[in-house]
Amino acid sequence: MNARRVRLLIWKEFLQLRRDPLLLRALMLMPIVQLVLFGYVVAADVRNLSTAVLDLDRTPVSRRIEASFAASGYFTITSHPASETELRPLMDAGGVKVAVVIPEGTQAALDRGETAGLGVIVDGSDSSVASVAAGYAAQIVAQFNTDRLAASGLTVSPPGIDARVRVVFNPSLDAVNTMIPGLIGAILMISISVIMSQAVVRERERGTLEQMFVTPITPGEYLLGKVVPYALLACVQASVVAAVGALWFKVPFNGSVPVVVVGLALFLLTCIGLGLLVSLVSHTRHQAQQTVMLMMIPMMILSGFIFPVESMPAGLQPVAYAIPLTWALRILRGAFVKGSGFEALAVPLLVLAGFGVVIFGAAVWATHRRLAE
Amino acid sequence: MNPLARIAAVARKEFRHLLRDWRVLAAVLLLPVVELLLFSYAISFDVRDVPTVIVDADQTPASRAYVQAYETSTFFEVLGEASDVNAVDRLFDANAARVVVVVQPGFARAIAAGERAEVGVLIDGSEPNAARVGQAYALALNQFYSQRIAAAWADRQGLDLSAAGRLEPRLRTWYNPERSSSIFLIPGLMVVIIMIVTVQQTAVSLVRERDLHTQEQLLVSPLRQVESMVGKLLPWTLLAFADMIAIAVLGLTVFGVPLRGSVPVLAGASALFVFCSLGMGLLVSALSLSLETANVVALLLSFLPAFLLSGFAFPLESIPMALQVVSCVFPARFMVSISRAVFLKGAGLAEVWPDLAALGAYAVVVLAASTALYARRSRR
Repeated sequence: MNARRVRLLIWKEFLQLRRDPLLLRALMLMPIVQLVLFGYVVAADVRNLSTAVLDLDRTPVSRRIEASFAASGYFTITSHPASETELRPLMDAGGVKVAVVIPEGTQAALDRGETAGLGVIVDGSDSSVASVAAGYAAQIVAQFNTDRLAASGLTVSPPGIDARVRVVFNPSLDAVNTMIPGLIGAILMISISVIMSQAVVRERERGTLEQMFVTPITPGEYLLGKVVPYALLACVQASVVAAVGALWFKVPFNGSVPVVVVGLALFLLTCIGLGLLVSLVSHTRHQAQQTVMLMMIPMMILSGFIFPVESMPAGLQPVAYAIPLTWALRILRGAFVKGSGFEALAVPLLVLAGFGVVIFGAAVWATHRRLAE
Repeated sequence: MNPLARIAAVARKEFRHLLRDWRVLAAVLLLPVVELLLFSYAISFDVRDVPTVIVDADQTPASRAYVQAYETSTFFEVLGEASDVNAVDRLFDANAARVVVVVQPGFARAIAAGERAEVGVLIDGSEPNAARVGQAYALALNQFYSQRIAAAWADRQGLDLSAAGRLEPRLRTWYNPERSSSIFLIPGLMVVIIMIVTVQQTAVSLVRERDLHTQEQLLVSPLRQVESMVGKLLPWTLLAFADMIAIAVLGLTVFGVPLRGSVPVLAGASALFVFCSLGMGLLVSALSLSLETANVVALLLSFLPAFLLSGFAFPLESIPMALQVVSCVFPARFMVSISRAVFLKGAGLAEVWPDLAALGAYAVVVLAASTALYARRSRR
């Protein structure tokens, strides 16, 4: 291993990167764009749902029901259709996502002490809206009942249960607080495998790999020279994400830095190995790009990055645990949100170390074999 | 040789490239299938079977009956009991539980005495969506159980608690009564896949000639630039349509997605959308110097906006205004809205014409811009 040769190889790789200014700009823009999109779109609370109120009762009670929906912040009342036939086109056009139907005689029924039904219609073509709207509506109605009971002047207080529901870790339930730690891992994986997968195959496609062989460069030096520039680039990207997350999105960091660094280093090893392997088995850059895409989409979706692993079908959960990103997310989120240390995260760290050794080892072995050919 | 024959020749050459590189072809054909399966089977917006651990410090028949309420719900999956509260931290740290229910000693005594018993429910907030639903379910479960206790107590005392009347929500879900996520996702997924495949593939395959320095050979041939471009885009256009039809057919037959609206409107909108995507691919290829750049820029301009700014999985109403404006810069949002309206809501031209007009305008602008860019580039 000759330090000067490695340094020159790294220098060459940087020169190549610099010659393509758009690529460098796009690579630096990528984390920012992802931060903004994931931070604001995926982590958005579903609020201000446009709602139509169909008041067929027209009494003080029905107006109070409407007011409690409007005051909740979850629903924004945008229209008052006179009948269900008028409601239909509003829903069809997508202008209204939820409709509250207060049937005629609601106040009368409540005054008689009966149970009155309140129609809540949700647009099922948008199932994320549909599932939360139902929960919010139930909450508002429950509060309405409690208020009425309290106002009715009933003096006896029956026994019951007071549930103190407390959210530990991330009590504000801000989705960015878990999205951004996860994004550090996801961006690392995407950018490393996209760029790394091109590294060796480009030289092969251009026929410059043969030129390398006639130089005194050894396979180890070649590999190091290829890996270091992109690893550095990934570190810069990860730091950008962490910095923007902490300063702009105000994501709290509760854990220890060494845990995150060790976790990311192990994960980086895995990603570099994956990228190199793709690069080695592909004949053209186009193939390598397609292979990476095909690999990355399932990894992103099954890792629990956006959708929790628990709500996946039982048959798919083992697949999720075979994905390195799943374990990297455990470490990042554990450290950021829960402040977990080495002891609590021992299992994910060990698993990630296993992945790193096996995948990176396989990549090194394959590179040696290829270069020896 | 007339222009049509020349275009056909370029298209044939492009097809040969495609067929010779079977791995790229396989990936391009496999990608839609993989995504379709992932999004239809793996993703569910309904949170259920959340791992729950119970700390029952009371150990009475009353507390066990209360714990039973968690066991019978579909939301909580009771994994076991922990002996004391100190174990809770470890459970959360090791991700062994997302919800811990703590029943304090004296639970049964308080209820028997006609008082309110206190119960602690701890929820791990590191998965905010699940936590929010968990909060609502925990409150609902306790309210329901509380009412049962109160009713039993009132019966014994001979009281009537129903005097105040109760309001009860009756939920109806239009368009997708089972709230199946595949029915909701597939009409949008179709759009996302087309956008990803078309933009990326056209960008990469157009840049390839420049990157491999075969561009000069094409320039000295009698081929005009427009002819070469049309010929190169033809295979990808056909592939995009094939993908679209395949996903639609799979969705209709295997996943039971209904097609309630007008098929001609859907077909027209799809054609416009494919032109928009081709235009974006052209634009990316005009800007990019190398294959790597084309790939990364295409990722940036097609993959991310298609997934996140199209409203396909994440509703656009709740995002900041500035990003809503940005989402209008990408054609996917209009096409997702058309596709969903036609498939699920039975919409026709009368409902979707604004989106259709936006797509048309977009196609014209983006194709004109990329042609202009190409013309400028070739003059240099």
